[in-house]
Amino acid sequence: MTKQHGSGLSATLATATCTLLGTAAANAVLAEEADDWDFDTALLYYGESDGRVQDASLNVLANRQFTDDRSLSLGLTVDALTGATPNGAIRIGEAQTFTRPSGNAAYDIAPGGLPLDDTFLDTRYALTAGWKQPLGRLNTFGVGVSASSEYDYTHAGFNTQFARDFNDRNTTLSAALAIARDEIDPVGGTPLELSPMLDVGDLSNRRGAESKEVVDVVFGLTQVISRNTLVQVNYSWSDASGYLTDPYKVLSVVDPETGVTLPRAVTPEVVGPSHAFLYEGRPEERSKQSLYGQVRHYMNGKVLDVSYRYMTDDWDIDSHTVDTHLRWPVGTASYLEPHLRFYAQTEASFYSPSLPAGIPIPAFASSDYRLGRFQALTAGVKYGWRMRGDHEMSVRLEWYQQRGDVPADMLVGGQSAADVYPDLDAVIAQFSYRF
Amino acid sequence: MNERMLRAASALVLAAALDGCAGLGVAAWDRDVLARDDMQLTPDPVEAALDEHIYFSKEASSGGRGFGGGGCGCN
Repeated sequence: MTKQHGSGLSATLATATCTLLGTAAANAVLAEEADDWDFDTALLYYGESDGRVQDASLNVLANRQFTDDRSLSLGLTVDALTGATPNGAIRIGEAQTFTRPSGNAAYDIAPGGLPLDDTFLDTRYALTAGWKQPLGRLNTFGVGVSASSEYDYTHAGFNTQFARDFNDRNTTLSAALAIARDEIDPVGGTPLELSPMLDVGDLSNRRGAESKEVVDVVFGLTQVISRNTLVQVNYSWSDASGYLTDPYKVLSVVDPETGVTLPRAVTPEVVGPSHAFLYEGRPEERSKQSLYGQVRHYMNGKVLDVSYRYMTDDWDIDSHTVDTHLRWPVGTASYLEPHLRFYAQTEASFYSPSLPAGIPIPAFASSDYRLGRFQALTAGVKYGWRMRGDHEMSVRLEWYQQRGDVPADMLVGGQSAADVYPDLDAVIAQFSYRF
Repeated sequence: MNERMLRAASALVLAAALDGCAGLGVAAWDRDVLARDDMQLTPDPVEAALDEHIYFSKEASSGGRGFGGGGCGCN
């Protein structure tokens, strides 16, 4: 790629990024060849309808190419999150009151309303750094670190990759490993799994911070099929252990005949939950596997990309994902790229939209819609154009929708699927600038 | 498909592919198309990471293309 020399903005941003990450070594190299940094920047807006989650995200990925194919990449993401998120309780015809996660206030949901917790407000900072270099003539080796921080959550991770070319560089085999440790320190403490939501001011069922460890392994094969076609196949294994529960989600305890949430005895003068709600609880182990295949094909200026992923885990979730992009050139310097993605998953073995009273409380239960059975569709388009000096801009606009597919035997009494599953509609808008 | 079957199937696909791949491919001087920016498997890494983050937050699956994402207490 040709670069305009003396690009002051690139150099300034590179210095800013390195200062931020405190990488003295990168600064030293930067002084010699400041013009060889490439920047990939993006502003993303993700917004769910009905006042649910909104995310404004700023992203910078800086890449520095050295001689001998060695490269350094540094990434920064800042997310500003606001909005409300389903708390896991079902819709009922009566007004509902919930204790806030902090335990020091309460919020009300109108009759027939979807129970949403509107205390969701966070800023997330994430940093990544990676180094890649050849090892001998046919091998590539890489290492990287990642860290992120938000109000109640911190992440630290390490990753490494190794790849080797075969068959005159037409075949590449790769292996990659990532390990991470995340800590979660919920607002108001971590609620005991499957314990009841208590009155405002009563934190007797809360405990301190929790953590989890995640190990990911990916084996990949990349193959050149022809002058115009490239294929990749990956097998991934991921194991998570530790605290995998969502501390802010609850389940409604319902009447086994009517399916309506049971009222709770309220103490006069004390603010507390109006109905019976239990905090969710998930297993402390999860093992996932997936098989991923991708084909990229060039057709007389147009590029078609189709990928498929099958995922299965020991929570009984199976999923299928089909993702397609078609890059269509418009004139000599711009393109249109329609995107279509289809996703379907089955529910976790312990997924339960509500818990009927009178039966023993199960060891694990969650009504989190993300563990339910649903299908999702993403449709959108991107328009990109190349400017002078090889700078590139693009805008994309997409719609994402999830539709629940609640198994009939999970509905209790008079419950309808609409009462227990919060369908999701969201818009994704992104502006990118590469220089 | 259970987990053991998937593992076996993946190993088989990889082995068969590697064997079959020996005859596939093009000569070094025929890589003009494959060298194009828009023919890279992940032509836009930032967009790919953003999508991975969105779908990790909203669905029970993640990864596949690369690592499984994460590093957030996403709601």
